[in-house]
Amino acid sequence: MDVAINSTLEANQKLLTYIMDLGEILLKSGAEVNRVEDTVTRIGKAYGFCRVDVFSITSSIVVSAHDPQGDVFTETRRITRYITDLDKIERVNRLSRKICAKPLDETELLEAIDQIKNAEGYSETAMFFTYGLISAAFSIFFGGTFNDGITAFLCGLVLRVVLRLGRKMDLQNIVINFFTSAAVGIGAIVMIKMGLGQNMDKIIIGNIMLLIPGILLTTSLRDMINGDLVTGIMGLGDAILRSLAISFGFAVVMAWFGGGII
Amino acid sequence: MTHAIQIAMAFLGSLGFAVMFHVKGIKLFFCGLGGAVTWAIFLGVKIFGDSIIGGFFIATLSASLISEILARKIKAPVIMFLVPMLVPLIPGSDLYYTTSHLINNRMQEFGSGLTLLLQKVGAMAFGIILMASFVQIFLYGKQSFLKGLMRLKKKT
Repeated sequence: MDVAINSTLEANQKLLTYIMDLGEILLKSGAEVNRVEDTVTRIGKAYGFCRVDVFSITSSIVVSAHDPQGDVFTETRRITRYITDLDKIERVNRLSRKICAKPLDETELLEAIDQIKNAEGYSETAMFFTYGLISAAFSIFFGGTFNDGITAFLCGLVLRVVLRLGRKMDLQNIVINFFTSAAVGIGAIVMIKMGLGQNMDKIIIGNIMLLIPGILLTTSLRDMINGDLVTGIMGLGDAILRSLAISFGFAVVMAWFGGGII
Repeated sequence: MTHAIQIAMAFLGSLGFAVMFHVKGIKLFFCGLGGAVTWAIFLGVKIFGDSIIGGFFIATLSASLISEILARKIKAPVIMFLVPMLVPLIPGSDLYYTTSHLINNRMQEFGSGLTLLLQKVGAMAFGIILMASFVQIFLYGKQSFLKGLMRLKKKT
């Protein structure tokens, strides 16, 4: 009898761990906190927990789940790295829909989670050129000439390399932003001296779109209006610090080269 | 002409961001197209309505509506389309100029830049929430209408 009870306890705890894995994937991939809370609650209920309390902010998820026998299971996750991956969010969404229609058994669930975790994104080469494309597009978008666009494209490539290096060295986001913007500034100055582009500010603004946390700023405001005040304020603080770091990176380069601070 | 170039670049920019966020397949094209439409709507309101903040608000509302419809058709999360579509509206240059005013101690410009930035971002955030709520209201209304219809059918 005792063994049987212990095994259901263990099974339920394990189940909760799998559910939290899905929640963690969502949060890491940049899903909204209310989506994370909603998904964990739904899947938990689908697996027979009669009450699921989830609290999530940008950097952590806490959950307590009650099973019908009255046992309470709990788990906490701390998230430190985020990489926006809308494809993973969609996959988790699809899986959650499937589970709510008919719960998968343990091996199937484990397999599905592994599949999502190991889903391949775009290759590094594709990312590399995408960064160039985005900065070229926005440099022309904000009024740059065609030559500015080409310069911005090259600066975007530089940006991606520095960004990747910084992530590899596990530097803080703020520091990475500072170094990338400084590198882009130097790149832009060198290329203008070589006679490639003309408008410094348009080239830089094209690259800024890649760095500036504009989406973060908008989503944090949305979170606040939505009632997730803690998440919203965290996002806002992050956005402010990051944009300061970016401006500071450019300012240092401009001051160094004496080209007048922008 | 400049407007046409801007719309084309909005398409490329949104498409690029969709790739950056690992959106796949035909959805990439929808994201790019949505970005271009969003910017075109903004330009329309700015030119004919003479309001930048109004343009941001209405463009966000329409981007949200388009992504809600697409999300329901394709059964994907709304943010998958909404985030790339809003990219052309992201006030990257304002954010940059504002902080650079702060660093260079130009407080007056900093103040007006910050106000404009908050107005733009606020208009977008409200647009997103408002459209999500409208959709919720619409779906509730539709559901209760269908329920009422069923009840009527049972009676007859």
